[in-house]
Amino acid sequence: MKNIFKWSIRNFLRNPVTNLINLLGLAVSLAMVIILSVYCYSELTVDHFQVKGDRIYLYGDKSDHIYTPGILKEQIDMDIAGVESSVRVGGSWEAPVFQVEHKEPFTSDLIFADEDFFRLFTYKAVEGNPETALKEPMTVVITMSLATKLFGNGQAVGKTLKMNNINDLTVSAVIEEQESISCFSFSAITSMATRKIVQPGGEEFADWGESNFQTFLLLRKGIVPDETAKSIFKLFPEEYQKYYKEAGLTPLKKIYFSEFTLFGSNYLRFGDKTKVMILLMVASLVLLIALVNFINISLSQWLEKIRQIGVMKVIGANRLTIFLNILFESFLLFITALIISIFLVLVVHPAIWNYAGLHFNTGIILTPGFIFISVTVTFLLSVFFSILPALRISSSGAIDNMKKTVIAHSGNSFFKSFLVTAQFAIAIVLIAYTILIQKQVNFGISNLGFNQENIIGIKLTPQLSENKEVFNKILLEEPYVKRISFTQYYPGKIISQWGAQLDIDGEKKQVDFDTFSADADFFELMGLQLSMGRFYSNDLSSDKGKILVNEAFLRENKISNPLGGKISMRADRYYEIIGVIKDFHFKSVTQPITPLVIRNDSYSSYCLVNLQTADFKSLNSAIHNLKAAAAELSPSFPVELVFFEQAVENMYQSELMFRRIFSLFSGCAIVICCMGILAMSLSACKHRVKEIGIRKVNGAKVTEVMTMLNKDFVKWVAIAFIIATPISWFAMHKWLEDFAYKTNLSWWIFALAGVLALVIALLTVSWQSWRAATRNPVEALRYE
Amino acid sequence: MIRTINLTKIFRTEEIETTALNKVTLEIKQGEFVAIMGPSGCGKSTLLNIIGLLDNPTDGEYYFDGKEVGKLSERNRTLLRKGNIGFVFQSFNLIDELTVFENIELPLIYLKLKSRERRDKVQQVLESMKMGHRKNHFPQQLSGGQQQRVAISRAVVTNPKLILADEPTGNLDSKNGLEVMNLLTELNKAGTTIVMVTHSLENAAFAHRVINLFDGQIITESMHVSEAVI
Repeated sequence: MKNIFKWSIRNFLRNPVTNLINLLGLAVSLAMVIILSVYCYSELTVDHFQVKGDRIYLYGDKSDHIYTPGILKEQIDMDIAGVESSVRVGGSWEAPVFQVEHKEPFTSDLIFADEDFFRLFTYKAVEGNPETALKEPMTVVITMSLATKLFGNGQAVGKTLKMNNINDLTVSAVIEEQESISCFSFSAITSMATRKIVQPGGEEFADWGESNFQTFLLLRKGIVPDETAKSIFKLFPEEYQKYYKEAGLTPLKKIYFSEFTLFGSNYLRFGDKTKVMILLMVASLVLLIALVNFINISLSQWLEKIRQIGVMKVIGANRLTIFLNILFESFLLFITALIISIFLVLVVHPAIWNYAGLHFNTGIILTPGFIFISVTVTFLLSVFFSILPALRISSSGAIDNMKKTVIAHSGNSFFKSFLVTAQFAIAIVLIAYTILIQKQVNFGISNLGFNQENIIGIKLTPQLSENKEVFNKILLEEPYVKRISFTQYYPGKIISQWGAQLDIDGEKKQVDFDTFSADADFFELMGLQLSMGRFYSNDLSSDKGKILVNEAFLRENKISNPLGGKISMRADRYYEIIGVIKDFHFKSVTQPITPLVIRNDSYSSYCLVNLQTADFKSLNSAIHNLKAAAAELSPSFPVELVFFEQAVENMYQSELMFRRIFSLFSGCAIVICCMGILAMSLSACKHRVKEIGIRKVNGAKVTEVMTMLNKDFVKWVAIAFIIATPISWFAMHKWLEDFAYKTNLSWWIFALAGVLALVIALLTVSWQSWRAATRNPVEALRYE
Repeated sequence: MIRTINLTKIFRTEEIETTALNKVTLEIKQGEFVAIMGPSGCGKSTLLNIIGLLDNPTDGEYYFDGKEVGKLSERNRTLLRKGNIGFVFQSFNLIDELTVFENIELPLIYLKLKSRERRDKVQQVLESMKMGHRKNHFPQQLSGGQQQRVAISRAVVTNPKLILADEPTGNLDSKNGLEVMNLLTELNKAGTTIVMVTHSLENAAFAHRVINLFDGQIITESMHVSEAVI
């Protein structure tokens, strides 16, 4: 055993460059596989750590509406024996602002929950006892990172923070973060008792018609969820039951991959199972590319070692000894690659978190279970990919080995060509896919049907809202401000959904639509087009309460002329339709354009400012002035300014993250491919030294020799391109089906991917070919 | 010790059939030093490979130490070869990744001797070959003559009954070649049977008997009277 170990290391050092390429290629691909596997495992096991997770359910409409009335909890506690405990959880429409002494205020992600929250959900305490921490009103439980941000490294329990510059909350416990393993994402949580104090008024705890919360239930053991859901449905008054016909109980572990959406502050994280599966597949492909390298490089090296093995057989080594030697050497290489890959993961994962947004629990990597699985898989891979050459070489005759007639026949070079072609086909598919993702993102960003350039969005803090008129006046006096609008709309922000009655031409019908309010300047600022009727005007007081609808509203409700129609939520309040605007993408292009109503209401959450500046310097100065003006009117609340274009891009965060991950891994794939062909090029040049020398002696030019050496690689990449194109077209077509609006599958995507692969391959091998081609032929012949 | 009767070896590929050995009958006694000569392609190396149990004849019989071994499987040939036959090649065929000591030790490892026993044997052979000072060197660090001495050391470390040498001086200058031939002669005097393939008449002169092959058949056999073994 000691000897085999020694020989393996010496064999490695005999061809250090080639072997290092092999080792690093395997290590990088294993690192990618580990990262993606751990990420996918983290995604697929979200909330699996919850101790009572198997009995926790979320009540709501299974499609995408999980809002329930506050009064439901009390009724459930009284009447549903199968429910051991129930907890309401709710965010805020506007995220509260926290502030402590001597620190700048910042927007928090505070959520509200009933006091049993920590009895249902498992959280590790750092300070205090979370299970009782929500009992008293005006207390708050915060995460460790928030505690450090607010209070430094000292104790946080007992300290106070100010909320919205009005209310004082006392920290009652500190908990550990659970961001990457739970669907819950918040850094501060307070009780419903606190909510009743800080958000008084309204009937959200008493009115069946006000649905502002999510209701989580802990069922008793043995209780059937479906039956419980039916019992809960019966608790609703008859007039509200129609909204919960589809409601059921969703298990906690399924929430993460559900299609629920939350308005306002979104404390639930949602994953995309399709993306997770795609990433797993990508990881497998990258590993496959590295394994192909391993096979190709090993085959070349076995050719060199074959004579050596023949000698060993002559001296007395039996077949089993040779076979095990070969397998052991492979296993040693794989296990070394695994160790390097784990080290790589631990070092680079912060950079990957930042670049690709891939958050995962690195603690898994050093657990005994993970190490056991990794070593086992590594062992199996090394055996699987070495077994054929090991069998072949060990079972051949010693004489064949000595004469190198084993393996060295045309079947093997075909096999190697096939493998390299497959490698490049995979790399071309990955590159083409990356290009397409970017194209779709660009399409999404640039084809929304409204202006984006030079528009800044300022979130209205409570103080800015109070001083809206003053703020407006200050802005209008600025020379660089072209237009201002106050609105509830902002790209990427969730829009309200209403259901109401439409009275039109004497006919009544129920309509559902998205809606937000905006002043009259909104339409021109956004560049929206009218297709019927007129816009409302700020100058006409009679235009208060008027609305515009979009073309999708007409299609959905089968109306040809909505002008004059009235939409009413309540008997005493109605809105009159005075115009129809052309459809525009007020949501991401992944979703179809749905019916929209824009209301001339006074509610607004954002101030949109259209700037006109001559250059970048004046734009910068304008932004600085804007911020200063807003900050002066809002000293207690942080002012957030975001470019509209950035906000639009942020709508595609998921796609952008996906594109970044894809480009990272296809970059790795192409690098590993290049490492493989570099090694093969090195090997080919080494074996053809004599041939090159003879050709040169007989008059071949450097370019002719380089062409001879490079043409095989070009051929392989060309064939790979032909194979990869239909595969990538099919895969891309399937991916685009998920988008309501999609970019074209242009021919140049495939061409560009192929050209990139070819250029990179040529650059890789040309250097080595040039070295071989410019060598003195006499030296080459003498060397041989 | 070695007896062949009508030994025939035919190599067949898809297109051609080559008769490398054609009904070769010979006998080599224990303790003999026999040289096999002939032009290139006459079947010398093929004959040596069959004698060395590296290959099987297509037809005919081969007796080694009285036992018929011509039809043995690869596994049994390996078992029989181990410890009984040593090989010396023209191109030395040392393993570059192993030191001199480790190269010589190799056959003993395959004989499953214990580490201490292996060490003692190798040490003994190194001293007798005057290569002890090079035991930790790699083959690339040795001259041709030294490499061939290591190869001979490897061949004799198991005290084989028979040594087969295929052009042992082919890659050496005359001085080193003479040294190698003297070594082989000494081994033969100590009782080892040696069968050597050579092109060189000077080398053949060291042998007791010369067998000439041509087109796979024995043409002549001649004895060196002064060295004849009775």
